[in-house]
Amino acid sequence: MIGPRFPELLAGAQGGDEQAFAVLWRDLQPAVLRYFRVAAAPAAEDLAADTWLAVIGGLGRFRGEERAFRAWVFTVARHRAIDWHRQAARRPTDPVPAERLSERPAPDDPVGQVLEDRSTRAALALVAELPPDQAEVVALRVLGGLEVAEVARIVGKRPGTVRVLAHRGLRRLARRVEVTGLLGDVTR
Amino acid sequence: MTDDRALGPDMHPPLWFPEAALPAADQDLLEQLLEGRLDPASAPPGYGGLARLLAAATAPATPEELADAQRTMAAFAAAMRSHPPTLSPRRTAMPRKVLTIKAAAAALVAVLSLGGVAAAASGLLPDQASPVADQASATTGTDAAAHGLGPAAAANLGEAADAGSADGQGRASAVGPDATGTAQAGLCRAWQAGQGADHGQKADSVAFQALAEAAGGADHIAAYCQDVAAGASADAYGQSQASPPSVSAPPTSVTPPSSGPPADPGPPASTGPGGHGGPPTTTG
Repeated sequence: MIGPRFPELLAGAQGGDEQAFAVLWRDLQPAVLRYFRVAAAPAAEDLAADTWLAVIGGLGRFRGEERAFRAWVFTVARHRAIDWHRQAARRPTDPVPAERLSERPAPDDPVGQVLEDRSTRAALALVAELPPDQAEVVALRVLGGLEVAEVARIVGKRPGTVRVLAHRGLRRLARRVEVTGLLGDVTR
Repeated sequence: MTDDRALGPDMHPPLWFPEAALPAADQDLLEQLLEGRLDPASAPPGYGGLARLLAAATAPATPEELADAQRTMAAFAAAMRSHPPTLSPRRTAMPRKVLTIKAAAAALVAVLSLGGVAAAASGLLPDQASPVADQASATTGTDAAAHGLGPAAAANLGEAADAGSADGQGRASAVGPDATGTAQAGLCRAWQAGQGADHGQKADSVAFQALAEAAGGADHIAAYCQDVAAGASADAYGQSQASPPSVSAPPTSVTPPSSGPPADPGPPASTGPGGHGGPPTTTG
């Protein structure tokens, strides 16, 4: 989060100030990229770039504070992910699961990686293993830093549903991590 | 955050989930984890690994993740050059609006002609009504326009189908009332006016094909239309009352599907999300 400087930076970026836009981008780009590593891993970099192109295109018309800006950026991102999955489904030669596997840095033991060196990519790969609706909600809440109501609006579900999906996702992740035998006594 | 506190009973995990493997975690704990407010070191037993996983997922950015900076800044600079920022976003919004109005007008024409087809079919020859009406409603708006209105109108219609629901409302109310009575009379008038002139073109159009079908053949249109002219004024009201629901099918076939594809979130806060500052809502 950028904080109190956000309105000034947004206004600057809307006026064409590259430095101001760079601050906005650096603040959100990691989260956007990580969201795609969960939601559409094989195309994460490209989709993040596409998302920013769309954000640049609509920037001049955006009105709102920082939370609304984040929510808008992730709304754009989610549409990219949905489009990508739709296109992937039309290409039978493009098997998504295989690509997602090959994208993972440590297909053998992502859990071990997380626990041992706190690899961000491995953690995201584990989140991506959740059922898609749970993965999406967990990603938007944890990575996007969005609140229940904001996620609910983005995914078009009721706040209660979003909450349930996130909690289920976390419980499932917790079990996935613990079940491997690398238990909670492994500190850092 | 307050309206979903009452979810307790809903929180049961699915049956296939072996919840017993985990210590019970209350919802506050899960919320703390989701919001990154829980230090992995102080996580309760069974949740330390999850806390570390989430901490890893939200670790500070790596240089790799910011490698796209140059390309993005170049795109930003290029966009600012080609569309210099203006303080009044309305200027860019204007052409779109005009286009939408034109598209809506084209769609209205298409709908009226389709409505005419259905009316001509259903109004006068009950036994032939449903096949023709079904045919009309089965045709998508764009297809119908391509046959009846030519490619330009079809293209516009496609755009109109993407337009907002406000347009759909306008179309529906404009078409609904007079689709039954006047359209068939109008169709006949159009036919009679064109008789002897350019039959070739007219016979090709969907509307006149339907007229011919309703009349029982192209040769019978003249006689058919004489009857229409005689009865139209007297029957118009009664027919529109008694007309089958299929008459309204063509207009609805042109209106955009309510659950359209989430193509693009579109311009952000052109509506201004107000004080609450929610994300810009899209069509969906």
